[in-house]
Amino acid sequence: MNTIEIDKVTKSFGDVVAVDDLSLAVPHGSVYGFIGPNGSGKTTTLRMIMNILYPNSGDIRVFGEELHGAATDRIGYLPEERGLYTKMKVRDILRFYAELKGRRDFKHKVGDWLERMELSEWANKKVETLSKGMAQKVQFIAAVIAEPELIILDEPFTGLDPVNAEVLKDAILELKRDGTTVIFSTHDMNVAEKMCDYVFMIFKGHKVLDDTLTSIQKTYGADTLRVSLDRDAGDLTTIAGVQRVNDYGAFKEVRMGTGADTQKILAALMERAVVQRFEVACPSLHDIFVRIAGPDALEPRP
Amino acid sequence: MRKIIVIAVREYQAAVRTKAFIIMLVAMPVLMSGGVLAHVLLKDQVDTTDRVIAVLDHSGTLFDSLQDAANEHNEHEAFDDETGKQQLPRYILRRSALDTDDPTTLQLAEECDKVRSGEVFALVVIGADVREVKEEKSAGQEKPVMRTVGGIDIYSDATTFDDFNRWLRSRVNSMIQKERFAAANLPQEKVNQCLVPVPVQARKPLGVDTETGEVIGGTRKREGTDILIPMATMFLMFMVITIGAAPLINSVLEEKMQRIAEVLLGSVTPFQLMGGKLVGMVGVSMTILTLYLGGAVLGAQQAGFGEHIPSNLGALVGWFVVFQALAVLMCGAMFIAIGAACSDMKEAQTMLMPVWIVICFPMFIWFIVVREPTSTFSVIASLVPPCTPMLMMLRLASAPGLPLWQPLLGVVLVLLTTVFCVFVAGRIFRVGILMQGKGAKIGDLIRWTVRG
Repeated sequence: MNTIEIDKVTKSFGDVVAVDDLSLAVPHGSVYGFIGPNGSGKTTTLRMIMNILYPNSGDIRVFGEELHGAATDRIGYLPEERGLYTKMKVRDILRFYAELKGRRDFKHKVGDWLERMELSEWANKKVETLSKGMAQKVQFIAAVIAEPELIILDEPFTGLDPVNAEVLKDAILELKRDGTTVIFSTHDMNVAEKMCDYVFMIFKGHKVLDDTLTSIQKTYGADTLRVSLDRDAGDLTTIAGVQRVNDYGAFKEVRMGTGADTQKILAALMERAVVQRFEVACPSLHDIFVRIAGPDALEPRP
Repeated sequence: MRKIIVIAVREYQAAVRTKAFIIMLVAMPVLMSGGVLAHVLLKDQVDTTDRVIAVLDHSGTLFDSLQDAANEHNEHEAFDDETGKQQLPRYILRRSALDTDDPTTLQLAEECDKVRSGEVFALVVIGADVREVKEEKSAGQEKPVMRTVGGIDIYSDATTFDDFNRWLRSRVNSMIQKERFAAANLPQEKVNQCLVPVPVQARKPLGVDTETGEVIGGTRKREGTDILIPMATMFLMFMVITIGAAPLINSVLEEKMQRIAEVLLGSVTPFQLMGGKLVGMVGVSMTILTLYLGGAVLGAQQAGFGEHIPSNLGALVGWFVVFQALAVLMCGAMFIAIGAACSDMKEAQTMLMPVWIVICFPMFIWFIVVREPTSTFSVIASLVPPCTPMLMMLRLASAPGLPLWQPLLGVVLVLLTTVFCVFVAGRIFRVGILMQGKGAKIGDLIRWTVRG
């Protein structure tokens, strides 16, 4: 059963077409990652699922029904930027959002969540006194406290240090284990790779990726090398078969052209430096993203 | 419906549980009555420095009599009999240095230099023929009138409110009248007897208390105090709108800019959100109203103004609550719409100006209405929906016998207007609250309202 079904949806704002003929199906209980450049139509799509915006054409069915003007208590939403009343206390605001979704048995739930997110000592403080990361965690709790069946998180990891990101990641995975469907949009490809069952990429209003990570990577094939050298070996693109190099400092990601010979490239590298790491791999999601949406992007994949 | 209540409760608590609310509650009445308060507290602050008056007396004898009158004033009137404290300045009269019967204006101008320099407080020029009267026929009048030929000019930099002008006018006239009565062989005591005034007292109507059977009412009306209550109702209504409804602008702006609206609209519809805000705001307004009204009535009783409390207080309060609720709903809807259409306070202020002018308009014409509460103008003005809450209340408070159909019609018209305002605001709110970036223009607002 699909939690969300988007069927040939188009949304325009005046002359600007934000989302163009988009179709998507999000299976129940999955973690779906939405990726895409800024301004690509991600947030618009999420808002249409949330029923905050209406599509100009096409249908959206959530839990098998079309939602017309009805806000639903079965969906939790974490907006991209802070959506909290700054003058309210943390406990009060969580109680408010729970009540809004019709949950009355919230007292101990608020306490539990605060403890899990390591925010217990901030329960009676006003939101404006919280740091960005803490406010983000409070916002997350507000989105999930009513135990919705579907959670939509718009860039939840922004502004979180690794420790807090870990806390959030664990919370999301636990929700998934409980059967909640999770959609989250992110710019962090590492997180998307690790957490998502499916990845959906939107670029200039069009869907360009929609599959499991493994399938996506298989489409590109093992055309990436991850190499570490002991010293600067100059411009690697001069080596035959090397199309592009992404330098990550600790290692380089080398994209091979079609028909390139991995062994010949290895030999060429060995002539320039001591090779400490040489891995034949599928491209990372980051690399795929850049290939599709980067400045010298080729034709976007269907 | 339940969600509207949840939002309303949050709005209420957020508004009432702040320091700003308490401060406004206390400061508003002080601000509004500031003029009156200052007058009461400061009216005894009078400048009591001696006033030197230069007198050029062409009439001959007036100066000496005035000198006597001034001495009388300085000894008795200028000082409080009980406390001995000086409450008025002393008048020191002296003859002007100009020693001619017919000074040129240039000479007078030079004498006035002393006024400008502060050497003297004023230059008084008494005309030679102050005692002469003649008949004059003025255009448009059948019978000729008697006029004094000469006159007295006071050259000074003081305002026309200054006590000296009044004092001089009253003394000179009483002196000359005394001379004339004496010349006509009318002794002063006889004249005084003739001039004893008859008191004519305005009173409230008498009535019979339905419970005790006693005759009540008939209390004296003091000049000016019977417009106090109508005036107070108007100010009260304005204060409640300002403290209760105006914060909605900021609240909506915050929800818009902090993206709180996005989260809320995932749980409630725009109608529920706006409805909750309005209901919460009405709750806040009623709280303020109760505190102010209760405080005013209690305060009046404590201060001994119990008799000024109108006998139909119950009915008045009833009407007030209805009109106040409608007024804050009407204004509140407009504030919400503007908050949703703008992206910062500056834009909002520009759009708010015409709204505030409309809200304040009744206060510009209040005096005309309270003076003649039953005139055609007043009736019509009080039935114009934006003005109805304040003006109809004004009329109800100043003319108890108002025909019932008038306030009832007022309520109906305002109710329809309020529903319309809420509807329009809802359309604007729905689109505007999620819009980021530049604020909307009037054209946009109209488009949103029509298209939905």
